[in-house]
Order: sequence, then structure tokens, then C-alpha cells
Amino acid sequence: MTGPIGPAPSFGPQQGPAAPTSPVPAAAGWAPGAAGPTAAPPEPARSPGRPRRAVVLLTLALVGVLVAAGLVGARLWTTTQQWERTAADWEALARSHGDQLAQTQAELEATTGDLQATREQLATAQTRITELADEKAQLGDTTAAQQQLADYQARVSQAAGNVATALANCVDGQETLIGYLEDASRWDAADLARFRAEVERVCGAATEANAALQRELTR
Amino acid sequence: MSATGHRARHGRGLVTVLLASAAVGGCALLPAPPAPVPTSVVPSSVPAPTATADATQLSPDGFDAAQRMAVRIRNIGCGALSTGSGFALDEHTLVTNRHVVADSAQLELSTYDGRDVGAEAASTAALADLAVVRTVDPLPAAPVLAEADPAVGDPVTVVGYPLGRQLTVTDGRVVGTVTDPLHENLGEVLVTDAPVEPGSSGSAALDASGRVIGVVYAKNSDGLSFVVPVSTLRTLLSDTAAFAPAPSCG
Repeated sequence: MTGPIGPAPSFGPQQGPAAPTSPVPAAAGWAPGAAGPTAAPPEPARSPGRPRRAVVLLTLALVGVLVAAGLVGARLWTTTQQWERTAADWEALARSHGDQLAQTQAELEATTGDLQATREQLATAQTRITELADEKAQLGDTTAAQQQLADYQARVSQAAGNVATALANCVDGQETLIGYLEDASRWDAADLARFRAEVERVCGAATEANAALQRELTR
Repeated sequence: MSATGHRARHGRGLVTVLLASAAVGGCALLPAPPAPVPTSVVPSSVPAPTATADATQLSPDGFDAAQRMAVRIRNIGCGALSTGSGFALDEHTLVTNRHVVADSAQLELSTYDGRDVGAEAASTAALADLAVVRTVDPLPAAPVLAEADPAVGDPVTVVGYPLGRQLTVTDGRVVGTVTDPLHENLGEVLVTDAPVEPGSSGSAALDASGRVIGVVYAKNSDGLSFVVPVSTLRTLLSDTAAFAPAPSCG
């Protein structure tokens, strides 16, 4: 049981393994216990068209594969062409937008410059408006001060005029009173006293006018 | 029909199915053709850019709200002339100091751009150095009063006419509170280091948001300015009896 495994002993006459065996009718030359060339054991029956069908199938498969490969290749070629066209369109679109972007950036830069210039002009205008408002206010202050001065001068002039008028009245009254007093016997004493009181009132008014003038002058 | 024929047909069918499956599967694995190129990839609508900080400050003439609400006051008294500042409270009312409108025969108002505004009547408060003036013509802009007084350290901006000259905007900070050294105001007043000058009296003191936090009324020799807090202003404005017609010298 442990020896090398050799070829199995045959039970029939020795035949070369490469000797073709011609088809022999299954019953020809066979007899139990008979020895001879017909003693070979029976082989399973083979279909003579089987290799040919395999070849046909393989051929068909190969053709199918080739056809499929062709279709795939055609599809790939078509797709590649489409992608190339699309890529070219995208590039054209990108360049178009790039041109637009460059144009827009240039316009933006110009507009930004204009905006900056406008801001500077606005700042200058605001400064000038503020200055003009101040100048106007100062002129208003000056006008108001001058008006106050004019009013003051008018009041002083008025007061001085009142003083002058009152003084003139006072002087006239006193001169008249002096004339009356030089010949007092001709006049009624009560009338003289009344006239003197009137002269004193007029001169008092002159004194008051002068005081008012002095008050105005000290304001 | 023999078994061999059956197997052959089975084989051909199997091969056909395998080939069809391979064709379909292979086609599925192939790259799809590209989509058509659009005529433009510029979006039809884009989100509007957010406004910048400067844009929020835009006004009809470029002046900011703090300048537009400022009012210059010329007090023509009886033999005296003085100037002060004020700010609009609403379209026909402005706020200033009591001493700015005191002893006046006539008040003349002008805006930041030099326009004259007719003054109608002035009323002064007894408990604070505050006054309100009604105007005939509308004022350009009015600010918002802050809800509460500022805290120490808060920034403050003063807008007014120091020395009766150009409209200026000066900045500083609240440095504290103190009892009014001039005894013109009831309660405490704010002390700031924002530079002011005579003529700045009545100027609005604004916070960082442009809201009024007080009314400038005095300064000291150390360069500190004193401000009537907005809480006092609010209290007096809400009291209809707090203001009485200002006495006139004329």
C-alpha cells in the first residue's frame, strides 16, 4: 500500500498509448473470456460536432467582445469630442467673463477714484460751508454790535439833545426871570414866584436830562 | 431533442446574457457626455453688500447728525451781546442753558450751514441751568436722549460753537460727578475732560451712539467741563411747570 503508484495494470493485450483506436462496433469481436484485439474496454460515446460548437461559441464571444469594444471605443471617442468642445466653450466663456471682470475692475477703479475725489470735494464743501456759516455769524454779531452801538449813540445823542434843549429852556427862563426881577415892582409877587418855580422846574429837567446823558455815557 | 443540444442552447444563451450584461455594465461605467455650456454663469441676483459705517452716517448734505442738530444762539441784550450753543430737541424746540438766553431783548438762531431760524419764545428752568426755545422755522435734525446718565470713563462728544466761532466737535471722557460748583443745578452734574470754551454753553454732550447724555454749561480753569446730566434734563422736560417764560430786558 505504500509503494509507488504506477500505471495500473491493464487486463488486455498491451497497446501503445498513441495508437489510435478505430471505431469498432460495440459488439464486434467481443466475447466473454476471449482474448484479442477486440478486447479493449468500451469508451463513452463522443459527439463529433462538440469542438466545432466550442469554436463557434468562442468565435461568437470574441466577435461580441470586439463589437462591444468597438462600441465602447466609439462612445469614448464621441464623448471625448464632446468634452473637448465643452471645454473650449467653457474656456471661451471664462475668457469672456475674464474680459468683463477686467473691464468692471477698471471701471470700479475709475469710479473709486471719482468717489474719492467727490469725497474730497464734499469735505472741502463742508469745510467751506462751515466757514461761510461762521463768517455769516460773525457778520451778524458785528451787525448786532454795530446796531447796539448805533442805538447807544442814538440814545446818547437824544439825551444830549434833551440836555441841550432843557438847558436852553433853563437859560431862557433864567434870563427872563432876571429881567423880571430887575423890575420886580412892576410884577405881581405871586406871579414872579410862580414863574421862578417854573424856571426851576425847567432847569431841574435840564439837570435830569444831563443825568440821563451821564448814565447813557457810562453804559 | 438531445441533452447536448439543450446544453448548447443554454451555453449560447448564457454567453448572450453575459455579453449584454457586459455591454450594459460597461456603458454604465463610461463617462457621461458633458452638460451644455450656459451662455453666462453670472448669477441673476447677488446679495447686497452690507452698508459700511460711513454709509450709516450719510445725510442729505454730508454733515453728520451731530452737526445738523447744533444751533448757534446770539443773545442780543440791552447793551450787551453774547453767543451760546444749543441743540434741537424736536423740529421746533431747542435746548440750551438758562444763562445763554438770560437778559435778552432778542434771540437769533442759526444752523450748522448758516441758515437763520426764527426764535419764538424762551423758557428757563429754575432748578437747573437749562432753557428751551421754541422756533418758528423747523430745525434740521434732532437727536435722541439717552435713557440714563453715562458712567465714569464713558466717551463723550461735545458739539457746539466755542467762542462763538465755527461749529466744532470735541471728544473726551466722563471723569466723574460732582455737586454743582456754581450752585445752578439741583443734584450732581457730570465732569468731563472734553475741551469747551465760553460760547460752548448749551452744547449737546453725546455718547458713542450719538445720543444726548447731557448739556454743557460751564468749565473750570483745569480744562474740565461741567455737564447737566440727561436725567435732570428728562426730569425737567417731563415737568410742565419746570420751565417759565424767560425774563427779557427789552
